[in-house]
Amino acid sequence: MSARLEALVRLMAVQASYTYERMAGIGVGHAATPLLRDVFAARPARERREAIARSADFFNSHPYLAGVAVGAVVKAERDGLPGLVISRLRTALSGPLGSLGDQLIWAGWVPALIGITLIAAPSLGIWAIVALLVVHNTLRVWISAWGLDLGLREGLGVGAALQRSWLPLGALEAQRAAALAVGAALPIVASRVLTPATSTAAAAAVAAGIIGAALTVVPATRSRITGLRLGLVFVGLAVIAAGVLR
Amino acid sequence: MSEAFRLLLLLLWGTMAGLDLVSVPQGLLSRPLVAATVAGLIAGDLAGGLMAGMVLELYALDVLPIGASRYPDYSVAAVAAGTAAALVPSAVAAGVAGMIGLPLAALGGWTLQALRRRNAASVRRRLDRVAAGEARAIWELQRNGFFRDALRSFGLALVGVGAALLVAQVRWDLFPHARLVSWAVLAGGIAAALGGAIRSAGRGARRYWLACGLATGILVVWFR
Repeated sequence: MSARLEALVRLMAVQASYTYERMAGIGVGHAATPLLRDVFAARPARERREAIARSADFFNSHPYLAGVAVGAVVKAERDGLPGLVISRLRTALSGPLGSLGDQLIWAGWVPALIGITLIAAPSLGIWAIVALLVVHNTLRVWISAWGLDLGLREGLGVGAALQRSWLPLGALEAQRAAALAVGAALPIVASRVLTPATSTAAAAAVAAGIIGAALTVVPATRSRITGLRLGLVFVGLAVIAAGVLR
Repeated sequence: MSEAFRLLLLLLWGTMAGLDLVSVPQGLLSRPLVAATVAGLIAGDLAGGLMAGMVLELYALDVLPIGASRYPDYSVAAVAAGTAAALVPSAVAAGVAGMIGLPLAALGGWTLQALRRRNAASVRRRLDRVAAGEARAIWELQRNGFFRDALRSFGLALVGVGAALLVAQVRWDLFPHARLVSWAVLAGGIAAALGGAIRSAGRGARRYWLACGLATGILVVWFR
């Protein structure tokens, strides 16, 4: 297995030893190690060890884009830049890679794909789920490889290269698609669960949901009221009611 | 398929779904829609699992797993919910999914924090070796983190699938209004997904896209 491929495989488990102190730092160090071994093959072992130690420091980004930092750091080490400069590069990349990745992936393509699958699943059943997994994981592997290669090519200039790339616009478009897909999925899922409820019961459930949504958005209540907490309260009340009305 | 084998598969699937959430490979196996549907398939009722997955997915859409944020873990919870939904009458499937899945998601979120604290203690024990750039120490941390998460997920799956089997023993025909619970779970799901979508959309044009989506969904339901 080539060092690049090994790094790519290791990037799939970049958060395996995730902590609040170092975030994904250890995982990033683990992913960078095969590439650093190659870079430092003809150089003193001490230099390689210093580079590995630097690569395992605190690091936080979106896991799918961690390869960008791995690649950039390895390129910087290959170019023989001072350790302090490389550490600063990691720190500088942390914020943008986290922010762009969260917008593109967690708030963009994942909810978009989930929304589409929620719409399709009642008709397509398990095949909708299979399609979701194939599409998502193809994109996931592709973006990890793309990020690693971008970092390996650009090194210190990777920040500017990221801004020039398709990512910022892609994140915006993905979030629009997510808003559209989730919005369309909501009434379809509701209708599926509420069949065959009476119109009064359906209206009551939807009204409770809308009021609950407002409570999770309004600044005065949103820090205390989450979807999960509301759900637990609603379920608790319904279990009591179902028991009493037995 | 024997019952023991089915149970083993469910526990294995629960462990895989739990691992997928954070550790490896983050390939959406942990999404409730996937985890619960596959659990339903294993338990013998795909439609029940799908129903559980759809309602719990509404809750998961509210979660943004950003940085150090703390969030519920719907992965193993969905496996248990999908199992339970597959074993009860379809009229109460969504309700039972919520009764099992929501508390387990809260418990799962707590175990994630405990896992991260254990991982941090593990790093501290090897700090000198990591600072010295010892690749072996980094590999050990990754391996141990993986196994810790697998153990966490397996434990949650054991609790969740056990609870699902218990709930399946309830005589639901004695509760003529049990459907109320399904509607309550849906109401919470709408609150979560809609609230999350509004917050995520911010004040810009994405609100219009959300409104367009809602209008499209309503039209589809209306004319179906």
